[in-house]
Amino acid sequence: MSNELVAILMFTSMLMMLLTGQRVFAAIGFVATTAALLLYGNGAIEMPFIAAFKLFNWYPLMTLPMFVYMGYMMSESKIADDLYDMFHVWFGGMPGGLAVGTIGLMVVISAMNGLSVAGMAIGASIALPEMLKRGYDKVMITGVVQAGSSLGILVPPSVVLVLYGMIARQPVGRLWLAGAIPGLMMAGLFIAYIVIRCKLQPELGPVVAKEERDMPLSEKLKLLRAGLIPFFIFFAMTGLFIMGITSLVESSAVGATGATIAALVKGRLNKHVMEETLRKTLGISCMFLWIILAALAFGAIFDGIGAVKAIESLFITNWDLSPWEVLIMMQLSYIVMGMFLDDTAMLVIVAPLYVPLIISLGFDPIWYGVLYTITCQIAYMTPPFGYNLFLMRAMAPKEITIIDIYRSIIPFVLVMTFGLMLVIIFPEIALWLPNYVYDK
Amino acid sequence: MPRPIVLYCKYVDYVSEKVGRLAMYSVFLMIATLTVNAFTRNIINYPISWGVELAQFTLAAYYFLGGPYSMQLGDHVRMDLIYDRCSDLLKAKIDLFTSFFLVFYLVVLLIGSISSTAYAIQYDQRKFSEWNPSMIPIKLIMVFGIVLMILQSFSIFFKDLAKVQGKEINIK
Repeated sequence: MSNELVAILMFTSMLMMLLTGQRVFAAIGFVATTAALLLYGNGAIEMPFIAAFKLFNWYPLMTLPMFVYMGYMMSESKIADDLYDMFHVWFGGMPGGLAVGTIGLMVVISAMNGLSVAGMAIGASIALPEMLKRGYDKVMITGVVQAGSSLGILVPPSVVLVLYGMIARQPVGRLWLAGAIPGLMMAGLFIAYIVIRCKLQPELGPVVAKEERDMPLSEKLKLLRAGLIPFFIFFAMTGLFIMGITSLVESSAVGATGATIAALVKGRLNKHVMEETLRKTLGISCMFLWIILAALAFGAIFDGIGAVKAIESLFITNWDLSPWEVLIMMQLSYIVMGMFLDDTAMLVIVAPLYVPLIISLGFDPIWYGVLYTITCQIAYMTPPFGYNLFLMRAMAPKEITIIDIYRSIIPFVLVMTFGLMLVIIFPEIALWLPNYVYDK
Repeated sequence: MPRPIVLYCKYVDYVSEKVGRLAMYSVFLMIATLTVNAFTRNIINYPISWGVELAQFTLAAYYFLGGPYSMQLGDHVRMDLIYDRCSDLLKAKIDLFTSFFLVFYLVVLLIGSISSTAYAIQYDQRKFSEWNPSMIPIKLIMVFGIVLMILQSFSIFFKDLAKVQGKEINIK
């Protein structure tokens, strides 16, 4: 059997296995172990376990449980509530203002966290009910929370870029900085979309009643103090890391400590908050780490059959594509595969196949990291299998149905695709900041 | 369900929960080790060479020992395109079949972990670093975690089976 056929068989059987609804890690692990035993016989029986030591050496993944911990600490202790109030009062006066404020809130939360879980939890539990109460269109605001929280993996810090950094062997500091401007640009595009949409259809985002946001300017300014905690956490974590004072894993630990202290200072740290934070951190971290464990075993087989070379010869020799066409093919294939396969697993399985080719074609691996992350954001949001959709369904208020969730993401996926194209056409959007900071 | 099976589910769930909750708190060990490391290196200029390594071991123990408990809580994501539209009963039926894949993967992991641990014990394998710690404890922890994961899978299997037969096992 040719190697191409093996690869295709493995992918299709993974898809079939996932469709059965078995746990994702088990489905991927089963395909990987079966393939290993069939291809290499009993000698390969240790292969799936050896992946645990690859993961062991990818120790920057330690940032994962710590980011999850921080995220839940912020959402469970409700230290982000004040932040919502701030945006509520300052932006409520314009049409669609609460939605614009929610994007702002999401950017701030993204700057304190490396995953989209925290933003999603805070958006779904605080911002969504408030906006629903004020007659905002539920489909639009569901999209706002999902799109906004997806910035978590683009705005530094970012777990996806940590994972990419390990796969592509690129410095995480540069990658994080490269995500900063595209992240803000993306937020700007979301805001532009909301503003234009609400100008055309004011009923989607009615202005908040004057009495509700009418307060003396001194009160209004006081609300800005809510921004102090996020600033403190951002500085303690990303700031110290970029300045070279703390290492990557240390900075995530300092961030986790910072979030705990912030909750303590605000008097919100109690037994219930601690229990929920720890238990959810364990659940989400174990889920991701077991998927990565299984996906690494899967990826090892791809390594063994020389899948990188196979893809290279398919794209360049067989299809005769130019470097740019290869790049676009890759992003498209990622989005398509991301619809049907688990996105975290795709990151671990597909990135090692694509990155070497990208580098050999002369593209900048830091820039590609940003493209990759934006593509991930899109893949995480596209049905049927988008991890964010799954989270949203679990967290959103009852009146928001699955259909609402699916419909809500369409305009935002288009906006994100537009953003992705901008970064492809103008690489400086991503590369200017890291070059400025590190090469000045 | 026969009484021994009910007792089996009860005890396995109990052990998974206790072990998982122990792992749950170990996130503090990771946070503390690394935060202290950041402080001592920058402020009193005393780098702890084994800090990151200790956290590495903790992370491995964290997800191997936390795996069974998180599975018991149903935290492992599934592709829910079709699955989510099924009734609870149908879900239990499907799981009865597909749990074979889960157990198969875990058993292969177990075989690998045992032979890897046997190697570590035989040659007194150590991690190559300044601290030079033995690899035996972490491997034993991983073996234990995988065993518990398999036991937990069977506990879930029995509960699904009972559900299909119309007599749910009530643990609590």
